[in-house]
Amino acid sequence: MGHGHHIEIKQETFVVPARAKQFSMIFMVVGLILAGIGIAKIDKSAAGHDEHAKVEAKAEGHDSHEAAKGHEEQEHTAAAAEHHTEEHANVMTEKFGPRMEYHTIDHPWQTKIWANLLVAGYFFLMISLASMFWITIQYAANAGWSAAIKRIPEAMSTFIPVGFIVLLISVFIAKNDIYHWAHYEHLGLKPGQEGYDKVLDGKSGFLNSTMFFVFPIVLVTIWMILGRRLRNLSVQEDNGTKGDITFHNKSIRTSAIFAVIFGFTISFMAWFFIMSVDAHWYSTIFGVYNFITHWVTAITIMALLVAYLKSLGYLNIVSDEHIHDLGKFMFAFTIFWAYIWLSQYLLIWYAQIPEEMYYYQIRFEQYKANFLTNLVMNFCLPFALLLMRSAKRNRYVLGIVGSIMILGHYHDVWFMVFPGVFGPGMQVGLLEIGVFMFFAGLFLIWTLTALTKRGLVPVNHPFIEESAHHDVGV
Amino acid sequence: MGILDKKLSLRNRSKMLVGIWEDEDKLVEATSALVHDGVHIHDIYTPYPVHGLERIIGARRSRLARVAFLCGLTGFILMTTMIWYMYVLDWPVNVGNKPVRFTPSWIPVMFEGTVLCTAYGMGFFFFWRNRLLLGVKNDLLDDRQTDDRMVIAIECVEGMNESDVLNTMKSNGAVELRELNHGVQTTI
Repeated sequence: MGHGHHIEIKQETFVVPARAKQFSMIFMVVGLILAGIGIAKIDKSAAGHDEHAKVEAKAEGHDSHEAAKGHEEQEHTAAAAEHHTEEHANVMTEKFGPRMEYHTIDHPWQTKIWANLLVAGYFFLMISLASMFWITIQYAANAGWSAAIKRIPEAMSTFIPVGFIVLLISVFIAKNDIYHWAHYEHLGLKPGQEGYDKVLDGKSGFLNSTMFFVFPIVLVTIWMILGRRLRNLSVQEDNGTKGDITFHNKSIRTSAIFAVIFGFTISFMAWFFIMSVDAHWYSTIFGVYNFITHWVTAITIMALLVAYLKSLGYLNIVSDEHIHDLGKFMFAFTIFWAYIWLSQYLLIWYAQIPEEMYYYQIRFEQYKANFLTNLVMNFCLPFALLLMRSAKRNRYVLGIVGSIMILGHYHDVWFMVFPGVFGPGMQVGLLEIGVFMFFAGLFLIWTLTALTKRGLVPVNHPFIEESAHHDVGV
Repeated sequence: MGILDKKLSLRNRSKMLVGIWEDEDKLVEATSALVHDGVHIHDIYTPYPVHGLERIIGARRSRLARVAFLCGLTGFILMTTMIWYMYVLDWPVNVGNKPVRFTPSWIPVMFEGTVLCTAYGMGFFFFWRNRLLLGVKNDLLDDRQTDDRMVIAIECVEGMNESDVLNTMKSNGAVELRELNHGVQTTI
């Protein structure tokens, strides 16, 4: 740091330490065992029809007009406070048909497994995409400080196909059970028939099985091609000569293309895979909210990996200054996450339109602990713990806070999916923990292995000198 | 305000040596040389932050961050009190049957108030401390030190060899050397 202090920039070759391999393996094996115990412990007696969840859902007032006359009578006396909303909901139901009913899940306990895989696949896919986006933003903004740590998001982005395949498998097998609209599409009802749903029918131009598979596959393919091109350019630059900026200029162009396409299309992932869980519901900020959840997680993982590699003695040119900047990113986007979270919640809370309300009604009434955990883990704790400058420069503090944030954001995705699919009564159990541990271990070993494939330092990057001398001041 | 944030009263100082630089790299080299020689640097004035300079002369961390925090806290408390007075105490309004006590609708007000007070507070205290605020008398050693020149002020203490210090400054790229005596600068 500082002027006059010479920093030698030399190539480093990363070798995955035996302990990291063991650690990931243990994580994956323990994850599998926990998931197995979790599966064994699921109550399979409810196989066939998930009547339990359905009845409870109805008791919450998401019932169809025809089926729930009896329930209604009881509720009117039992919960006078809810009266207004209830009545409104029923007026809406009369007008537009059943809108807030949970569909019958044909394979309830298998669906729990597939929904967990959906969450895990989606989470890690979006993280890898976010890290690719991070590189493109550094290029597009001509950022110099981040050149030294560029290989880490590059390695993380190689996980895109794995996450996507897991996601596709889970939705391919359990689509009709996870998604209300897919189940409805399967029935193929015409207007006038019993159970006809005007809302789902109206959305079917977009929300149908063809679009559901073709759109994301096309998008992810485009992102992967551009991402691969960026990674290849990066290697070519390494093998080229110092001072040659042709690859850098090509990278800038590719990044600009990627950033524009990605910015316009990333919301589709959230719409198709997560928001369509609550098919009658929509939120215009949902795509941004999903993106920011994964964006802040990707930056957190990057910060932790940089700190980890540094503690192993790699990344000679990376200093506390880079880690400090990553910590600032974590802090800033924690606030931004809360900002977007509130933007979605506040408007729905204020407008109190039944068709919007029920998303938060079930999540607040039936899942109060999860609702509050979400806010505490993703905003309150990181905000309080990362506020100090010294905390952002301390690898141990970053490690603890970062772990909380990663778990918190995984829980956030789980919380978007599970209450929507199963109604009330779900809890984070051994299955959830096991699936997360398995994929976390896989992601770790995959990323570390990808880091060994090329030099750890982009030695011919035009900004590498600037990055090596990066200094945020006293 | 210089990098060390020391008060400079042009009238009361007995004697100071002032060097003017136009190149930041040379300024950094000169500072290193002076610090190495054990010269007591009073302060350094630059129009923009020069990387690495603060570490060489051992500057403390800026207190602006703490000022920002306190301003933000002030704004937060101010706005919470304000909306509580307006919305609960003085004139409760029934908006769609929402409760009037603390609700999510308060958060934007509290947030904006916090940001507003932080931004204005930081701006105010920064300009005040730098003597750039309207009505605050400035203490520029050189008229161009807020523009394109950099200034090192050295306190003349007992036992300091003035000619040695002047030579060091000269050989490290000072474009002008002055002596400050009771508020009057004379070119050497």
